[in-house]
Amino acid sequence: MAHCERASKPLLQCLRSNYSRSLAGVQRHGFHSTAVAADEKAPAESTSEPFYKSPDPSLVSSPRLERQLMRGGVNPIGSRRRRAALQGSSNLPFEELPYQCFQEARKILQADREEKLADIQKMEVRIANVEATPTEQMGEQAKKSKLPAMRIHLDKLKILADINDPLVKRKFEDGQGKGFDVSSFHATGINICDFATGDMSKPIYQYLADQKWREYRRKILVQRITQMKVIPDVLAKCDPVVDTRLYFGKHQIQPGEFVTAKTTTVPPKLDVQLFERGEKLVTIAVVDPDVPNVETDNFDYRTHFLAVNVPVSATATKVDLSQLSADSQVVLPWLPPVAQKGSPYHRLSLFILEQDGSKPLDFTAVKASETDRDAIRLRTLQRQYQLKAIGAHLFRTLWDDTTQEVMEQLGFEGADMELRRKKVEPLPYKRRNPSSFR
Amino acid sequence: MLQPRLLAPLRALKRAIGPAALSRQPLIPQPLLRTLSVPSILPKPPTSFSRTTTLSPLSQVRYASHAAQGASNKHSRDPAGKRLGAKRTGGEYVVPGCIIFRQRGTKWFPGENCGVGRDHTIFAKHAGYVRYYRDPQMHPDRKYIGVVFEKDEKLPHPRHLPTRRRLNMVAVPARPDSAAGQSDLMATIDETHGTRITSVQAVNAAEGPQLRPGYMYREANWQIGRAAEKAGIEAVPYDRNNRWLAWRKRKARADRAAQMKSLKGKKKAGKKAK
Repeated sequence: MAHCERASKPLLQCLRSNYSRSLAGVQRHGFHSTAVAADEKAPAESTSEPFYKSPDPSLVSSPRLERQLMRGGVNPIGSRRRRAALQGSSNLPFEELPYQCFQEARKILQADREEKLADIQKMEVRIANVEATPTEQMGEQAKKSKLPAMRIHLDKLKILADINDPLVKRKFEDGQGKGFDVSSFHATGINICDFATGDMSKPIYQYLADQKWREYRRKILVQRITQMKVIPDVLAKCDPVVDTRLYFGKHQIQPGEFVTAKTTTVPPKLDVQLFERGEKLVTIAVVDPDVPNVETDNFDYRTHFLAVNVPVSATATKVDLSQLSADSQVVLPWLPPVAQKGSPYHRLSLFILEQDGSKPLDFTAVKASETDRDAIRLRTLQRQYQLKAIGAHLFRTLWDDTTQEVMEQLGFEGADMELRRKKVEPLPYKRRNPSSFR
Repeated sequence: MLQPRLLAPLRALKRAIGPAALSRQPLIPQPLLRTLSVPSILPKPPTSFSRTTTLSPLSQVRYASHAAQGASNKHSRDPAGKRLGAKRTGGEYVVPGCIIFRQRGTKWFPGENCGVGRDHTIFAKHAGYVRYYRDPQMHPDRKYIGVVFEKDEKLPHPRHLPTRRRLNMVAVPARPDSAAGQSDLMATIDETHGTRITSVQAVNAAEGPQLRPGYMYREANWQIGRAAEKAGIEAVPYDRNNRWLAWRKRKARADRAAQMKSLKGKKKAGKKAK
C-alpha cells in the first residue's frame, strides 16, 4: 500500500499541478462552495499586500501569525496541518476533482438527497393538510398526537437529506456559519474554539452537535454527577439532554472541578446548548448538599441560586446569572459558596430544569414562597412546579487561602471556627474465653 | 547444506563394517558400497543399521528410570493458618478502622461506609453496625460488606434516595497557621559531656552563626537555603515557548560536549604517542 502510494505520488502531484494550471482561469469565476470562496479571497489579498500583514484564517500555519490573528479576535479555521496543506493545494471543488470513483459515489449521494428532498416536500404538504382539516373531522386527540409525530419525522428527513454532505460536515467542524459576533465574544474572554458548530438553527447542525456532545462531554458529565453522588443526593435522577458549560469570568469550569472561593464571588455565566427546535423556559438552581451541621451530625442543603422563566433555545444559549432580571426571573440571587475550614468538600450542583410545557411560572408566587435558602429542597420544587431536569453541572469548593477573606466579606457565621474529626472511642478490649482455646 | 548430516550415518556404517571388511571377505560387495555413497539411495540402508546399540555411540538417551528426589514430603505440606475470615459478624458494632474481614483476594467487596486495605482487608470507615449483603443493581455477583448507622437499617438502600451520611466532626476555634520559625540542630561543648548535638525548638533556635554539626560556626541549613531569597535573586521561570533561550542553551551544551570530546581524543592520542 505504502509502496503504491509512494510510487503514485509524483504522478498525482503532476496531475494536480496540471489541473491547477489548466483550471486557474475557471477557479476565479466562482464555484458555489465555501472552500472556493476562501480561495478567491486569498489571491486577491496576496496581490495587494504580503500574506503576513493580513493572514487568512483558513490558510495561516505559522504559530506567530496564528497568535497575531487570535489577538485580533479571529481564530484560525481547522487544524494547522490542514491549513498548511491548503496552502499548497489548488483547492478544487468536488465537481472538478479528477477521480472517477469519487464522482460516481457523489452521484449516488446526490440521488439520495434528491429523494429525501422530495420526501420533505411531501411531508410538508401533509402537515399543512392536517393543520388545515378542522378538528371535528379527525378528532382533537388524533390531531394532537399526529402533528408532533409528523414534525419529528420531517426533522429526521431534513437531517437525512444533509447528513452525507461533506460540506455540511466541514462547516460544522470549522464552526462557520454560526451567527455570533466574534469581537463581542473576545471581549467576554470566552474561547471561541469551544464552539465548533454550524448554524444551530438548522436541524442537521443541531443533530451533529448533539452527536458530538454525546460522544464525550455528556459521558464525562454523567460520570461525574453519578460518581460524586449528586444524583441521588440532590435529585433522584437526571438525563441530561442539553449541553451546559459553566464559566467563572473567562475560565471554563469542567464538571467536578475545584474552584477557589475568590473566583466564585461573582455569579457564573452559563452556555446552555439546546439540540432541538423551539424555545424552552427553564428554571436554574444551584444547590449545595454538603453544608455541615454539627448539631445534627449530618449535612444540610443550601440553595445558592434560583431563577425561573429563563428562556433558552438552540441559537440563544448564553445565560449570565448576574444579568437575569431581578423582577421577573431571579428568586434567590447568587450567594458565593464557602467551605468551612476542615469540612469535607462541597459539591455545588447546578441543575437546569425544564418547566412543564415551557409555560412560565408565576414569579411573584414563587418568590413569596421560596425565601429560605436552607429550607428549599430541589426534589420538592421539582414535584411542586412539575419541573424536569434536562441539564446539570457540578463544581466543588474546599477551604483555601482566599476563603477567609470571602467569609469576612459575606459576614459568614462560624468563620472563626474550624471542623475537626471527632475522637473515636475505641471498643472495649474483649478477652476471649480461654477455655475454648486449645 | 544437507551433506554432513547425510554423511554421518554413512560414517557409522563404515565404522561398523569397516574392520570386518578389512579382516575378512567383504560382506557387502565393493560396487554396492560405492553406490551407497551416492546421496540418492542413502536413506534406506542406514536406518536398518542405526537401530543396533553398538552403532549409536554419539546419540545417548537417558530415560526417566530414576525418580526425582524429595517426593516423599510432597503431599504432606501443611503451612500455618493465616487467620483469615470474618472478624466481625453481621449486626456487630464497629468503630472507624475496625477490621471486619480478612481475605485473600476480594471474596467480599467494601460496601457502604467500608474501605478495602492493601491486602483486601475490609475495614469500617464509620461507627455503626456491620451488614453482609448483595446489591444486584450495583453488581450481579458481588458480595458486599457495609456499615449502617442505625441498628435495624437494611442494605442496600433504595438507589433514588439521598445517601445517608454522618458528619463525625466537631467545631473548634480555628488556630492560625503557625508556619513561622524552624527548629534546628545545635552543637554544644561541655566539660562533663563533651560535644553534644541536640535539636532545639523553633522558639529557641538562635539566629546567626552558631556552633553547629560539622564543628564550625555557621548559619543554620534552612538559613543557607534561603540565601538567594534574602539576596533578592529570582530565578527566571521556565518558558516553554522561549525557543531562543532553548537554542542558546542547547548550543552551549553541544559546544561543551564537542570540546570535551576533542580533549578526550587528544589525551588518547598522547598516550598512544608514548
